[in-house]
Amino acid sequence: MTGWNDMQTRSFYESNARERARYLLDAGSFRELAGPEAQLSSPHLPVLDEAISFDDGVVAGLGKINGRPVFILSQEGRFIGGSVGEVGGAKMVGVFELALKMHEKAQVKYPNDESRWPAIVISFETGGVRLHEANAGLLAHAEVMELIQACRGKIPVLSLVGSKLGCFGGMGFVSVATDLTIVSELGRIGLTGPEVIEEVLGKREFDSADRGLIYRTTGGKHRYLMGSAAYLVEDSIAAFRDKVAAVLAEPYAKIAAKRAIGTPTLVEEQLELTALAAQLKPKDAYDIWAHFGNEKIAKSIPDLSTKEFLQQVKIRKGGGVS
Amino acid sequence: MALHNMTFTFPGGSAGSIPKPFSHTGVVGSGDLEALFTKADLKGGVEAQVTTPVRGYDAVWEKVLGRFVAESGLSDVKIHLNDNNATPFVVTLRLKQALAEAMERGEAS
Amino acid sequence: MTQRPKTLVGKGREAMLNIIDADSFIDGKIGDATLDTNLGPGALIGTATMSGETVTVITNDAKARNPRFPVVYAGIIGLEEAYKMAQAVYLTMEADKNLPKKRPLVLVIDSPGNAPGKVEEFFGMNLATGSYQLALAEARTAGHPIIAMIVGRAISGAFLCHGLQADRILALPQTLGTMIHVMPLSSIARITKRDVELLETLSQTNPVFASGAGFFYKLGGLEEIIEDPADMPKAIVRHIQEIYKLKSEGKWNELGPCSRGTLGTARGGRVARKKVLDLMQTQYAKLEEAFLA
Repeated sequence: MTGWNDMQTRSFYESNARERARYLLDAGSFRELAGPEAQLSSPHLPVLDEAISFDDGVVAGLGKINGRPVFILSQEGRFIGGSVGEVGGAKMVGVFELALKMHEKAQVKYPNDESRWPAIVISFETGGVRLHEANAGLLAHAEVMELIQACRGKIPVLSLVGSKLGCFGGMGFVSVATDLTIVSELGRIGLTGPEVIEEVLGKREFDSADRGLIYRTTGGKHRYLMGSAAYLVEDSIAAFRDKVAAVLAEPYAKIAAKRAIGTPTLVEEQLELTALAAQLKPKDAYDIWAHFGNEKIAKSIPDLSTKEFLQQVKIRKGGGVS
Repeated sequence: MALHNMTFTFPGGSAGSIPKPFSHTGVVGSGDLEALFTKADLKGGVEAQVTTPVRGYDAVWEKVLGRFVAESGLSDVKIHLNDNNATPFVVTLRLKQALAEAMERGEAS
Repeated sequence: MTQRPKTLVGKGREAMLNIIDADSFIDGKIGDATLDTNLGPGALIGTATMSGETVTVITNDAKARNPRFPVVYAGIIGLEEAYKMAQAVYLTMEADKNLPKKRPLVLVIDSPGNAPGKVEEFFGMNLATGSYQLALAEARTAGHPIIAMIVGRAISGAFLCHGLQADRILALPQTLGTMIHVMPLSSIARITKRDVELLETLSQTNPVFASGAGFFYKLGGLEEIIEDPADMPKAIVRHIQEIYKLKSEGKWNELGPCSRGTLGTARGGRVARKKVLDLMQTQYAKLEEAFLA
């Protein structure tokens, strides 16, 4: 069996949900909640002749990161596309409820020591609602959004996106509603999947088979450049873990200052960007990257290593005017 | 239409049960499966439950599981498998991984 | 002779004007602030009164078309629309920030979806819809009663964006053409590779994927079905009063998205949800002390 240290160098992209949960946390600290031994699989899949999983594709639990209590959620893309059903959705809700509960006690016990208050880390890999139990999945999304808002001012909530399936559908806005997002260049975030865009706009406008186009539209580098992802890291468990640890060492106010959305000021900023979208009518993300001062490197951005990209790229600052 | 459930019982061996209350491995991806071993008082026997969308391979499952149980020497263990079209080779591989995981001491989770 | 009520699908503006006090709608005005009414024309927003009390109304107008974003028409919520809706929520909070009583927000729902475009993905449609949802969640906890009234289509991401964050959700019945779902059964059948007949049979006993107000009611996805559109104003006012009362009593767990989870279990719809939450509570209770030590 591979040890914790060996797992740190492993690709985040290739790791399954339980590996991500366990190895993002301090060695030996992970305690799973409603884990596979409880056998709480979906009650809705058997009648549809669809394979079930004891964890319903969501790993929930708690552990520590550099000693700080951290609740973790990790979605498994290999199980029905990481889709959110009733059971998996309830696990997400449960983690938020428990974190709020712990926070209440922690702030009484350690009024001046934020490093002992809980945080929430979510490793997304999902296309959103599970169609086999669509209504329950949809309703769970709304509950999670309510709870993200309930955590504000109290509990840092961090999104990690760097797994194979990315983070789409309703989870696309859930992930961006947290305090901040950490991506790798392989992470993809969006609302509407490429196939649907192709269906709406036609293949000439958007070819869902064009991997490069998909990454330029929704990939980690683009999201980082546009400011909706706060950090871009290399594709390893250690890189994600180190960034999470560094973020969680900051005071809450500083973490929340990285928010992409959730304040009137940010709405005004995004409205400026929306005006830019209408004016620029970009055919490709290259046009947007160039607009924000990357004219010379725009075409080579997809080929840059994460390190080169971080050194060379100019990211969007403030609203739409660069 | 519904998922197909199978239960098999086997005589146990002399290696005893697993040291932990339970052990889990694998992901129910396409062509793959998860295995959950739980400690259970089965009077020295082993019970295996398989849930799969695939029908008509009961005899193959029984053979693969029977061979694994005999080779492992396990007793007083319940084996739960959630399968999604795994080949017998993958099933055997996952069972062996689950066993290795189950026998590991130390880390509680 | 009484006239049979007609469907309000595609008629958000008309539905909204029927809900509020006659001639009370002021387009684009919230408190002292004025919204840019050219922005997101499919989001019809303003101040009105209901039973004489001031409310903010946010309505999908399916007859509007966004001249700047070609995929935004027929009630689709695009970037401009969602941010305009979020602006309206923050302006509503701002207008009442020094007042003890917070005015209600009435959301009139008739949207088939979020804008599925390329430009929308470049700039992040997820940010736009997320912005509006967070604003609503904040306004709700600030004391503003939020009522969602489904008069037409409440579909998937559009329903999450505009509706599901409300304190209470009301809907006209399916017989009046309302559509509440993630996808129609025929599409679910295609994607899950199951016969539509099978899905139809299954939905008679399990409301979890079927389309319609009745199924969402069973799952706790909405509080009440209003059979006659003429009853909408008084039902909305009644719910607003109940919300004020519950909030003043601190009964937050009887309002909003998570309360509907509990409601779903009570109505026999979402039973597994409760099992999961209960187990997590029990397991956590045993770990808490160690993690707080």
